[in-house]
Amino acid sequence: MPLVATVDCCDPDVELARALADDLDRAFEALVIAYRVRIVTFVARMLHDDARAEEVGQDVFVRAYRALQAYPAQRRETLRLRPWLYTIARNLTRNAFRDALPPADSLDYDDGNPTAALVDDGSAPETLVLRSEAWQSVGEAVSRLSAAIRPAFVMRYLDDLSYDEIAESLDQPLGTVKASAHRGLLAVRAYLENNDG
Amino acid sequence: MGETNLGALRSAPSRPVGPDFTAAVFARIGLDRYVSAASAVGEVFIAWRSDGVSALRIAGDPATFETWYGERFGRRVVPALEEDPISAAAQAKLRGEDVEVPIDLGECSPFERRVLEKAAEITRCNARPYSWVARELGQPDATRAVGNALGRNPVPLLIPCHRVIRTDCTVGGYVFGSATKRTLLEEEGLDFAAIERVTNGGFRYIGDDEDGVFCLPTCGTVATRMGSPGFVALRSADEAHAHGLRPCSSCRPIAA
Repeated sequence: MPLVATVDCCDPDVELARALADDLDRAFEALVIAYRVRIVTFVARMLHDDARAEEVGQDVFVRAYRALQAYPAQRRETLRLRPWLYTIARNLTRNAFRDALPPADSLDYDDGNPTAALVDDGSAPETLVLRSEAWQSVGEAVSRLSAAIRPAFVMRYLDDLSYDEIAESLDQPLGTVKASAHRGLLAVRAYLENNDG
Repeated sequence: MGETNLGALRSAPSRPVGPDFTAAVFARIGLDRYVSAASAVGEVFIAWRSDGVSALRIAGDPATFETWYGERFGRRVVPALEEDPISAAAQAKLRGEDVEVPIDLGECSPFERRVLEKAAEITRCNARPYSWVARELGQPDATRAVGNALGRNPVPLLIPCHRVIRTDCTVGGYVFGSATKRTLLEEEGLDFAAIERVTNGGFRYIGDDEDGVFCLPTCGTVATRMGSPGFVALRSADEAHAHGLRPCSSCRPIAA
């Protein structure tokens, strides 16, 4: 029988969680370094507001530190850091989101009956027709997604979290986050195809 | 129009964070960081927070430094993983580069702050008496308090408290020891052998008949005057005036 290394030994987050459990203050900078770009990028996409992203990103880490301080070492050690940090980021962007409602011409509809333009055309959902200079358009498309499906779409398709991690992060059933992410993908793809300039 | 798959979407450009991001987070959670760096007195620990460098001490046992820091400043300090603009500026300054380093004197009293800011004005190859600092601050009787304030300088070298010495031109105390203080001043260009030839003769000032000015023996301009034809050692300001000399505008040897 071949020797199989456990996943844990190679997962930097497991090492990091151990270090945070051992000495939160000494290990905290490593957490910031590991996640600051991802978190600020996620926040920027969620808010569609680059200027505020840095400040809200700092809020995420301050909240994380305070929470870690309150946790017993055992809980810190077993924490799944990535979904946990995204939960905090999601909650803080939701607060910030209330100040800026999504635009009236929001791309998706929560009634489950998207317009014809958004219907899956049968091409593989993993394929997006996208010009390399189109990231600005992606940002605009994402900003038009409703608050209900935007987090799942961004986490899945821009931040590459697993559905398990997204479900944990958003505290929603697996089926719900899969459906949200997929609907977001259809909406973004439709937006990009219809705004091909 | 080219086609890209979802892999390309996942490589969407990240939003870079500013260089002060980590410092801002650490400021808000009340945690300071430190690094070790080379300096004229050997390896030192430099601690900083978002407002500037908060402490500099000879590097030794990290635990001892961290305990000292916590007792003095009431905040925890941890070893930094990364440099940031403040720690980088401090290290450049210790290498002798002419850079501005933000200093955090938040823990000092207003008087201590004024003393340290005055000491920070004294440039390389110069020294000034404790009484001179007191006089410059408009508190000529506060010489001893000046010494105490300098002794509590949280950031020696970065604020050059070693450039403040006794009126008789002996070096006085220093957080890293008097011998180190004298060595530092000599390395910066002060010629103590020459200075002592003046002070041992009972002279307080030196003048230059050609330039028409008189100075403290530790004025940075003195070394060049020692051998000049107009060089004259003086016992008092009255003697200087008798020579028709005016006080140097750089070292301001007497009250204006």
